[in-house]
Amino acid sequence: MVFKNIICPVCGGSCDDVQVNLDTKNRTIDVQNACKMGNAKFQEVVSSHRILKPTIRENGKVKDVSWEEALEMSADILVNARRPLFFLGSETSCEAQEVGLHIAEYLGAPADSNATICHGPTVMGIQESGMVGATAGQAKNRADMIVYWGVNALESMPRHMSKYGVFPRGYWTKRGRFDRTMVTVDPRVTPTAVASDMHLQLNPSSDYELLSAMFTILNGKEPHPSVEEITGIPISVMKQTVEMMKESNFVAIYVGLGVSSSYGKHRNIEIALNFVKEMNNYTKCNIGALRGHCNVAGFNQLASYLYGYPFGLDFMKGYPRYNPGETTTVDLLREKDVDAAFIMSADLVNHIPADCAKYLADIPMICLDIAPCPSTTAADVVLPGVIDAMECDGTFYRLDNVPVYFEPFTESPFSETKSNEDTLKQLFAKIKAKKEA
Amino acid sequence: MQALLNTGSTINEGRLAKGGNKYSEDYTKECAVCWMCAEDFTSLGCPEKVSVTSRDGKHTVAVRSKVTEAMRSGQVFIPRSIWANVVVEPDTFSTGSPRYKGAPVSVEPTDEEVLGAEEIVLTLYMGGE
Ligand code: SF4
Repeated sequence: MVFKNIICPVCGGSCDDVQVNLDTKNRTIDVQNACKMGNAKFQEVVSSHRILKPTIRENGKVKDVSWEEALEMSADILVNARRPLFFLGSETSCEAQEVGLHIAEYLGAPADSNATICHGPTVMGIQESGMVGATAGQAKNRADMIVYWGVNALESMPRHMSKYGVFPRGYWTKRGRFDRTMVTVDPRVTPTAVASDMHLQLNPSSDYELLSAMFTILNGKEPHPSVEEITGIPISVMKQTVEMMKESNFVAIYVGLGVSSSYGKHRNIEIALNFVKEMNNYTKCNIGALRGHCNVAGFNQLASYLYGYPFGLDFMKGYPRYNPGETTTVDLLREKDVDAAFIMSADLVNHIPADCAKYLADIPMICLDIAPCPSTTAADVVLPGVIDAMECDGTFYRLDNVPVYFEPFTESPFSETKSNEDTLKQLFAKIKAKKEA
Repeated sequence: MQALLNTGSTINEGRLAKGGNKYSEDYTKECAVCWMCAEDFTSLGCPEKVSVTSRDGKHTVAVRSKVTEAMRSGQVFIPRSIWANVVVEPDTFSTGSPRYKGAPVSVEPTDEEVLGAEEIVLTLYMGGE
């Protein structure tokens, strides 16, 4: 059967035009419009490696158990821990994340999500300076200059250029790519840089210096000549770039981890945001983060709305606290500041530095996921995941913080649960029963 | 050789990770790879495999080498994956995000075996359990 307008649950692009032909008899799925990454995830609906049974590790051996047993053991681990970490990953709905946040609040535990190892510093930069933002549609219809700064869009959000950024024909950009100038700032010659009209190949970790020199130029002053050696970019090129921006009608800047993960972190983002504000004295200019994980923006929105902080929340004192560097996942694990972990829809062991991953593997860990990965290998309890946007409905937030409601085209393969939200609700009920017993 | 480590996505890394194939040979071939320029590759003696070591010397990972014009001398790239993260520094500068970009590492030729993702978890993180 063919289903149209399916939302892709893979990256922050949340493409809403995917067409799926699911053949339940032969267990095949044909996917149109999605990119390579999106297509790979859609194949998970019929894949042979899908996790279909809960497992636990007992005396070093992994064995299949019933859902009931797996949930019981998970609840035991979380209730008996003094400080369990809740990592509510982004490859699931806001609805599931919300239940996870409530469990963390109930247990007085820290709760975090993928933003912490992704655009966390970007969010912190926004808290420092505020952001001139726009929806993807605004940029599509208006932007005649696109800047990809520290992001390899073609490989991290493969359809960004074709769907939102560079190629689509907009109301004021009727000729698509021909109406747009594309600039990439990256220390590497990435495929995105190759596709650009101009590539500023800066030295690694010199984003702050380059942005501040461009800020100086924008203010009509001459930057110090040493900036050429530090950044590897001639001042004349910086001036040309600033001039191109000023002469454009609408500049859309997309930042990636190249800015927020390099030396300088949130300060890089802060100066980029200030630069954008200043640029608005000359032309329309906005900035947005290219969010690699699906619904990573959703957790930020949800946690801010419910508890006032976007990530790295800690409920230990009975009220939410937020102190990046202390209450954030990598720091909690590095400092061995938690004694159990619940990881949902994110392969945390794969994505964190060795010291943190080793400690995470040492402590009791519950992992909810759909396919075997380093986190499920290291976990003590594995709960099978339901694939959002394919097997259940819910809400994602797109890269530009626009909420997208998605509907499934098939059902959860488990009679025990309808969605990850459902699984978490069952877990919460068990936790409450144990706590209040 | 001292170098600055950059990590990030590649399209096939994304395709294999999102498709649940992190334990496949293809994933190891795509991600357990250290990209460098021809000049650095030659100065290392054109090794097939290199070991990348974190600045504090605590963590080392063996990966295949790849020569590419995408890199400049003194800079190396490993696709975002468990191999890269073995040597990424855990300090977050009080932001929560480790240094995925620009961590200083040393790169040397090696004959060590390139481990698969599962072997890394089992041997490096779970102590051979
Ligand atoms: S760009 Fe992102 S959301 Fe769109 S199809 Fe590819 S993976 Fe899915």
